[in-house]
Amino acid sequence: MLIRPSGEDLRIIGFYLGRIFYVVAAFTGLPLLWALGGREWAPASSFVLTIGAFALIAAAATARPPREKALDWSHGMVVVALTWLVVPAVGSLPLALSGHLANPLDAYFDAMSGLTTTGLSLVQDLDHLAPSLNFWRHLLHFLGGQGIIIAALSLFAGGAGLTLYYGEAREERILPSVTSTARFIWGVSLVHLIFGVAALGAIAHYVLGFSPIRSLFHGLMIFFAGFDTGGFAPQSTSVGYYHSAVFEAGAAVLMVAGAMSFGLHFALWRGPRRADTLRNLETRTIISTFSFCLIVVFIGLATLGLYDGVLGLTRKGLFHVLSAHTGTGFSTVPSSELAAWGGLSFVGIALAMALGGMASSTAGGVKSLRVGLTLKFLKDQIKEVLLPENAVVSQAYHQSGRKRLTPKVSQAVMLVSLLYVAMFLIGGAVGMAYGYPLQDALFESVSAGANVGLSVGITDPGMPALLEVTYLLEMWLGRLEFVAVFSLVGFLLSWMRGR
Amino acid sequence: MKRLLVVASCAALLLGVALPAGAQEIVVTVEDLLDSPEEYSVSRVPEIVVHGELIGDFGQRPDGVVWAQLNGDAYAMAPLLAGGELAGPNLGIGVRIPADLWPELADLAEAGGYRLRGPLVRLTGAWRYHDPARGGESYLDVTGIEVYGEPALLEDRAGWLPFALGVFLLCAAAALALATRRREQEH
Repeated sequence: MLIRPSGEDLRIIGFYLGRIFYVVAAFTGLPLLWALGGREWAPASSFVLTIGAFALIAAAATARPPREKALDWSHGMVVVALTWLVVPAVGSLPLALSGHLANPLDAYFDAMSGLTTTGLSLVQDLDHLAPSLNFWRHLLHFLGGQGIIIAALSLFAGGAGLTLYYGEAREERILPSVTSTARFIWGVSLVHLIFGVAALGAIAHYVLGFSPIRSLFHGLMIFFAGFDTGGFAPQSTSVGYYHSAVFEAGAAVLMVAGAMSFGLHFALWRGPRRADTLRNLETRTIISTFSFCLIVVFIGLATLGLYDGVLGLTRKGLFHVLSAHTGTGFSTVPSSELAAWGGLSFVGIALAMALGGMASSTAGGVKSLRVGLTLKFLKDQIKEVLLPENAVVSQAYHQSGRKRLTPKVSQAVMLVSLLYVAMFLIGGAVGMAYGYPLQDALFESVSAGANVGLSVGITDPGMPALLEVTYLLEMWLGRLEFVAVFSLVGFLLSWMRGR
Repeated sequence: MKRLLVVASCAALLLGVALPAGAQEIVVTVEDLLDSPEEYSVSRVPEIVVHGELIGDFGQRPDGVVWAQLNGDAYAMAPLLAGGELAGPNLGIGVRIPADLWPELADLAEAGGYRLRGPLVRLTGAWRYHDPARGGESYLDVTGIEVYGEPALLEDRAGWLPFALGVFLLCAAAALALATRRREQEH
C-alpha cells in the first residue's frame, strides 16, 4: 500500500528546494554583473527577471519550514530530481527572452543541456549571442558539473547533506563530512579555474593572436565547458573555431581533469597515494576502454580514408575520442562531417560516449567503475563455470583499497548499466520513428543520454518536439543516474494514489 | 577601316582570353562547402569565391596570417538585433587571410558579434579540405578579398517589461522572506 506524503513531507522538500534556489539566484547575479559591465541592457533585464523568479520561488518554498520531521533519503532524492527539473526551467528565461531560440521548449532544452553538462544546443545565430548570455550558458555547465547541490552544501551544512549528496549521483565521500567534501570539490574546481583560464587565455592571446579581453573570454568559456565536460562553445564551430592544435591540447587537458573523479584528484593532490590510484579498477578500466576506442576509431578513419596524413588522422581521432569518452562533446569538425564517420569510427565514438568518465566526476555515461565491475563480474562468472566445482574464485577488486564484489553490488551495477543501454535504445528508436537512419538516431541518443553533446545534426531547431522531449528526459535521467528520478516518480504516485 | 579591324581583333582577343577566365570563377556558398566539402577541394577546383560575414575574432598570428570565421547564413544580411528572423544555426567556415592582403584589417578591432554585424566580404581562395599540412583542418586559403559591406553597429534595447517584472518579483520575495523570518522569531 502506498502512503500519501504528509504536509510535513512537502514542507521538508520545499524548504530544501528553497535554500538551493537561493544559492542559484545568487549565482545568477554573476551574468547580471557581466551584462551591466558590458552595457548589454536586454540580457541584463532578463537576468533581473530570472533572479526575481528564483528568489520568489525560494521565498515561497521556505515560507513554512518543517517542524517535526528531518530530511530523509526519499525527501533528498525528490529534492535533487526537482532541483534538476526546475532550475533549468527558470534558468531558461534569459535564453527564451534573447530571441535566439524559437520557443520556450528550445530554451528549456538548452538550459537542461547546459546544466546536465550535455552540450547539445538549439541556439540560433550563436555567433551574435550576447557575451553575458554565453557566460550564463557556460556557467550552467559549471553549476551542473560541480553540482548545484554541492554548491548549496558548501554554504549550508547539517545532517541533510548526505542524502542530497548521493542523490546527485556522487558516490564517494572524499573527506569525513559531506560539507568538507563539497568544499574540497569547489576548492579543486577553483584552482583549475584559475590555472585553466590563465593557460587557455595565454594561448588565445599569444598563439592565436586574439585581443586580451577576447582571450580571457574564450579562456573562461572553454574552461567551463571543458573542465565540466559540458561541450558548449562560444562560437558555432565549437573548438574547430580556433584552428590550433595547441589550443585543442589545452582543452584536452581540461577534459581529462574533468572526467577524473574528485577522489582521484584528492589522491593526486596528496602525493603518497599516487601509485595506489593506478591500481584502482576504475583507473585501469578507463585507460583500457579509452585505448580500445582510440584504436577502433583510428582503424575506422583509416579505412574510410577521410584524412590523408597520419597527423590529421591522429589529431582528429584522438581529440574526438577524448571528447566522447570524457563526455565533453567538443568537436573540431562540422556535424555533417561527423555524420560521415561511419563503420568502425562510429562504433568507437559511440562506445566511448556510452562508457563515459569516472564516477563522482563531472562526466556522464555508464561510468568506468560500473564498466570495470561489470567486466569483473562476468570474468568471475566465466571462471566459476570453467574451474572445478570446489575451486574458490576471488571476488575482490582494488578501488582505494581492497574491496569485495558482493552480489548486491553486482546487481546494482548491472541494473544501472542496463538502464543506460535501455535508455539509449529507446531514444534511438524514437529517432528512427521520425525517419532518421539507425546510426544517426543511435549516435544522437547516446550523446544525449550520456551527457556528451557530440551531434550528427539531428539536434536542430527544426527537430520534432517529441524527439526534443525524449532527449531532454535522457539528459535528465542520465545526469542523475536514474535513482533520484525514480524516487520522484514514486513520490508522485504515492501522492496521487496513496492513503 | 584597317584601324577598325585591328581594334575589333584586339577586342576579340581580349574577350577570348577574359571570357574563359571569367567562366572559371566558381562562386559557392558556405552551405555548399559544408554539405559537399570534397567537391570544392583545391585538388579539384583551384579557386573558389565565397561571400559572407567575418565573425568572432581576427586572430593575428605571428606568421603573418589572420584567421577568422566566415559565416554565410541569413544572419549576415539580417541580424536578429536588426529585426532579422530566426533561420537555423550559423553556417561558418575558417578563413586564413595573409595580413598584407588586407592592410585595413589592422584598424578593425573585432569581427562581427553581439551588437556588431561584421564586415561583409567576397573572398577568393583555395578550399583546403583536410589539409595534411595543418593536421587535417579544412579552411579557405584566401588569395583575394573585397569588402562590400562595412561593419555595422546594432542597437541593443533594454527590455523594460522583464526588468520591471523582475524587480516586482524581487520585492515580493523579500517581503515574503521577511514575513517568514518574523513569524519564525515569534514562534
